[in-house]
Amino acid sequence: MSKHHQETAPFIERLIFNNRLVVLLFFLVVTLLLGYQAAQVKPDTSFEKMIPLEHPYIINMIEHQDEMANLGNSIRIAVAIEDGDIFSTEYMETLKRINDEVFFLPGVDRSSMRSLWTPNVRWTEVTEYGFDGGPVANRPAYLTEEDLEELRTNILKSGEIGRLVANNFKSTIIEVPLQETYPNPEDQGEQIRLDYGDFSRQLEEKIRSEFQNENPNISVHIVGFAKKVGDLIEGILKVLLFFGAALAITFVLLLMFTRCIKSSLTALICSVIAVVWQLGLLRTMGFGLDPYSILVPFLVFAIGISHGVQIINGMAIEYATADDAPTAARRAFRSLYIPGIVALLSDGVGFLTLLLIQIEVIRELGIAASVGVAVIILTNLILLPVLMSYIGISKRAIQRNRDMASRPQKLWLTVAKFAHPTVAPISVVLAILGFGFGIYHGQKVEIGDLDPGAPELRADSRYNLDNDFIIRNYSTSSDVLVVMVSTPPEMCSTYETMDAIDQLEWRMVNLPGVQSAVSMVSVAKQVIMGNNEGSLKWQTLSRNQDNLNNAISRAPSGMFNSACSLVPVMLFLNDHKADTLERVTAEVEAFAEEYNTDQLEFKLAAGNAGIEAATNEVIEKSQTKMLITVYVVVILMCLITFRSIRAVLCIIIPLALTSVLANALMAFLGIGVKVATLPVIALGVGIGVDYGIYIYSRLETYLRQGLPLQEAYYETLKTTGKAVTFTGFTLAIGVATWIFSAIKFQADMGILLTFMFLWNMFGALWLLPALARFLIRPDKLRGK
Amino acid sequence: MRKPIKRRASSCRLTSFSGQLATGGKQSLTRQVLAAMGLSVVLASISAPVALAQEAQEPATSAAVISPKASSALLLDVDRAGDRLVAVGSRGHILYSDDKGESWQQAPVPTRQLLTAVDFVNDTHGWAVGHDSLILHTSDAGESWTIQYRDPELEHEVDPDGPGLLEKPLMDVWFRDTRTGFAAGAYGLFLRTDDGGQNWDDLTYEIDNEDGFHYNAIAEIPETGLFMVGELGMMFRSPDFGDTWETIEDLPYDGSLFGVSGTGEPNVVLAWGLRGNMFRSEDFGDTWEEVALMTPHNGPLQATLSGGDYSEDGKIVVVGTGGFVVTSDDQGRNFTVVSRPDRAALASATVLDNGNLLLLGQRGAVKGDSTGMPQNGSAADSIPAAGTPAVQ
Repeated sequence: MSKHHQETAPFIERLIFNNRLVVLLFFLVVTLLLGYQAAQVKPDTSFEKMIPLEHPYIINMIEHQDEMANLGNSIRIAVAIEDGDIFSTEYMETLKRINDEVFFLPGVDRSSMRSLWTPNVRWTEVTEYGFDGGPVANRPAYLTEEDLEELRTNILKSGEIGRLVANNFKSTIIEVPLQETYPNPEDQGEQIRLDYGDFSRQLEEKIRSEFQNENPNISVHIVGFAKKVGDLIEGILKVLLFFGAALAITFVLLLMFTRCIKSSLTALICSVIAVVWQLGLLRTMGFGLDPYSILVPFLVFAIGISHGVQIINGMAIEYATADDAPTAARRAFRSLYIPGIVALLSDGVGFLTLLLIQIEVIRELGIAASVGVAVIILTNLILLPVLMSYIGISKRAIQRNRDMASRPQKLWLTVAKFAHPTVAPISVVLAILGFGFGIYHGQKVEIGDLDPGAPELRADSRYNLDNDFIIRNYSTSSDVLVVMVSTPPEMCSTYETMDAIDQLEWRMVNLPGVQSAVSMVSVAKQVIMGNNEGSLKWQTLSRNQDNLNNAISRAPSGMFNSACSLVPVMLFLNDHKADTLERVTAEVEAFAEEYNTDQLEFKLAAGNAGIEAATNEVIEKSQTKMLITVYVVVILMCLITFRSIRAVLCIIIPLALTSVLANALMAFLGIGVKVATLPVIALGVGIGVDYGIYIYSRLETYLRQGLPLQEAYYETLKTTGKAVTFTGFTLAIGVATWIFSAIKFQADMGILLTFMFLWNMFGALWLLPALARFLIRPDKLRGK
Repeated sequence: MRKPIKRRASSCRLTSFSGQLATGGKQSLTRQVLAAMGLSVVLASISAPVALAQEAQEPATSAAVISPKASSALLLDVDRAGDRLVAVGSRGHILYSDDKGESWQQAPVPTRQLLTAVDFVNDTHGWAVGHDSLILHTSDAGESWTIQYRDPELEHEVDPDGPGLLEKPLMDVWFRDTRTGFAAGAYGLFLRTDDGGQNWDDLTYEIDNEDGFHYNAIAEIPETGLFMVGELGMMFRSPDFGDTWETIEDLPYDGSLFGVSGTGEPNVVLAWGLRGNMFRSEDFGDTWEEVALMTPHNGPLQATLSGGDYSEDGKIVVVGTGGFVVTSDDQGRNFTVVSRPDRAALASATVLDNGNLLLLGQRGAVKGDSTGMPQNGSAADSIPAAGTPAVQ
């Protein structure tokens, strides 16, 4: 190293470049250590993390979770016959074999399983001598027409049409309650936790493929929480494949950009090292990979590449005047480490605003992404230039860069016109129109998930098709909000309690969006009617306690707890859109206000719709808070760096336009603000600001040198424009692969982030110079 | 004496039964004596505190909720007030229709109890009865209703250690004219008024029904008298339209009967009930003949038959659980049975002017063609709502 360098170089540069071997050794050791950790990261599917645990609804739900255990966790397997109906020997035989196969799956609560072939599915009839009844299927096999006719009669008398038997008699359901933990068949003392991924795989292999392949006339449809979780786990693993695709595409783009294999490879490797570090640190901190945080490696990789490109681009430019690779690397480092660190810090701090949201999975995403960008500072701003100082850039690439620099570049000359005094006002007017358009349409963005079925999965996924099949053929809805009614022990069946629940049910059923309400009260009315010879004139609550006790004793399990102090009321909803949920929860709260006493309390909320209602509330509250915080942070970062409000405006206004337009895009695409899309706002702003920072810092340099704006901008574009464009595309590619994810919310995140990354780049190139025309006075900067 | 079917808590029944003897029985006897002496002023002063107490028991929140879904929720009975149809059912719903059941308006009603029957004596005056022994009255063709009577036992504090209140719903009501009417219900409850419902006398012990079996329906047999059927096939007749009652000894059936109707001809009675049983008498109940009801594909009708009606031109309709509709065009000699595709339980029906049917039941008021099947474009064929409760 020459003395000259050491005098002008900042301390940090001297520290790093004078100890290059030590630096490399340090990175090698840490990479090995964290690589070992990263290899042990496992998919983690704790769904508790996806719900706002601090929301009162969820607190209520968790408080009563054990008492309602049987309500939720079951799967339903619809076995359908394509040709003919269920009253055939072939169908009943297949159903029996499926029933037996399911019975022996691990984790199945065998005693509560229900299907046409289980003895607990019974028909009842009122006769002169009281109740008469029996199992619906009472024969070992259905071989003759008479047997099948009897089966038809029994089914008609069972009241199971619409529940276990499809309304069109072309399919029936096997209801399979599951146990979260179950005794190990080899060692009864040991409890095994139900492995949803494995259970779901067994359903696919042993039930669906097995029987559908055997008989093409049979189709199997499976829904339920366990199946959904299984499908999600499957989806997570598939997303990993996309990483390979993103890697390959990025490498090709890098090659096109640098025309230098060795520097492309180096940048790629540094970014992969960043990913390894991030995963390793995550594992060290005790986190796993959930469907949200699995996306962070993509982001880290893409951000890493984009900063790597800046370094390589910087080096190629510096080669014009430098004699050797180390000098070029040092100069590139010197010119880039401040904007680089500022850009990365604003990314990181932007991500940290996600911690404001009381949903664990978003917080972890924020932590993971912040860790990731912190790591990039080390790998791509330090390791990469040090490596490049050894490797250098190929002569051809340098030569090409020199040729380009000496020639006027048509594209950038055109783009530079955005800074022209007559073009700039047009741009500003367009931007104002864009703001108006975005704000107007953005108002239509809804909170929460908007698609029917399981919103986590795609509308055309196997699961949602199955769900749709069951909704179409049975009297059921997949959106359930549970109101928990709590009383002192043994008081759940008093007339007062049951009458109040009855009033709640009717009030809710009269609310738009509520299809029906079911609780032990609605069941008790049917039982009381049954006890009175099935006469409809008795279909009401009795004022006699013995009658009420008798009536609820016939209700299915799970409709009240064993202490008789909790009654879940299930409200079946049309959908889980935010306004439906808000309307329902508001009405329940108003009802509770009116009816709650110290003996009787109506509490919200369980069920998938209850969880969603709580999540929506948290998201709605956090949305504005997070948006303000992330912008404040980014503005502060820019302010500290550039010490000029005008500069901040030049950088932030294009960013804000992107946010506003992204909102409108969400409205157009029917994507709601939800757990998955809320972080996108922070990610989009945090990463999007990079472009502005890089462009503005160059522009400022040239303005200080005394160039007029348009010329200064042209020079900026010549040096960094290509890198910025490239960055935009790399980032976009990294997240665009998510669009193909089987998990719907990952796809939504992919679409929105791709849009934000591309549009932020465009905004920085187009609007920033136009705003500079109005806001920046070159004469004031000159000589500073 | 038949053994009662084991379905009520027998202990509670016995206790309250004796309780009734002690209080209700005595009171009614006193009242009768007083009435016989013509001391109506004294009578009024006795019933006044009861009436006051009832009003105090009915807070504003217990008025029926006005709901667009009332016409598709459980409805149990319908009658005509002139050209208007008035239907009653669950949660205190009373609905009226001036366009033959196409659209329904809900009347404000001061109760949310299940109402079981309605009877109009002319274009404007009608009574509805229901659970809690409720009797409601309208004098404006069903547009507004007031409570005339409620189970007096509801005013007493329930002993927390006792068997609880024995709930006695009224099952049917019939008025001879605007002053005299009868209401009958569970556990032998039988009430009479002679002043348009201002005062109701409990005549439970005037009828030979000492085990207190339920009365399920009362019907007027033209030019003949009143006929009443009930639990365990019990039958009662009154040739003087309600003043005296005779218990029929020679019964055709020992299962419960839920409905009774004339056919338009004098002395002809049609009674029906459990398991598709229907009987026809041409001599006001002296002798009976079983009516064979065959389903289209599935052998004899097994479903319980609940309510029905006949039209002036001799058309009869009887409905039941499982969506079964039984019709006759020849005054009850031959019947057609159909099963509606939705299979929703039906409680009652009436024949509209054009020969089509108005059916009431689990899904409220629905229309059917002349056999009771859904008409084209009717929503009755649709899938039942989600989460219809299962009974195990």
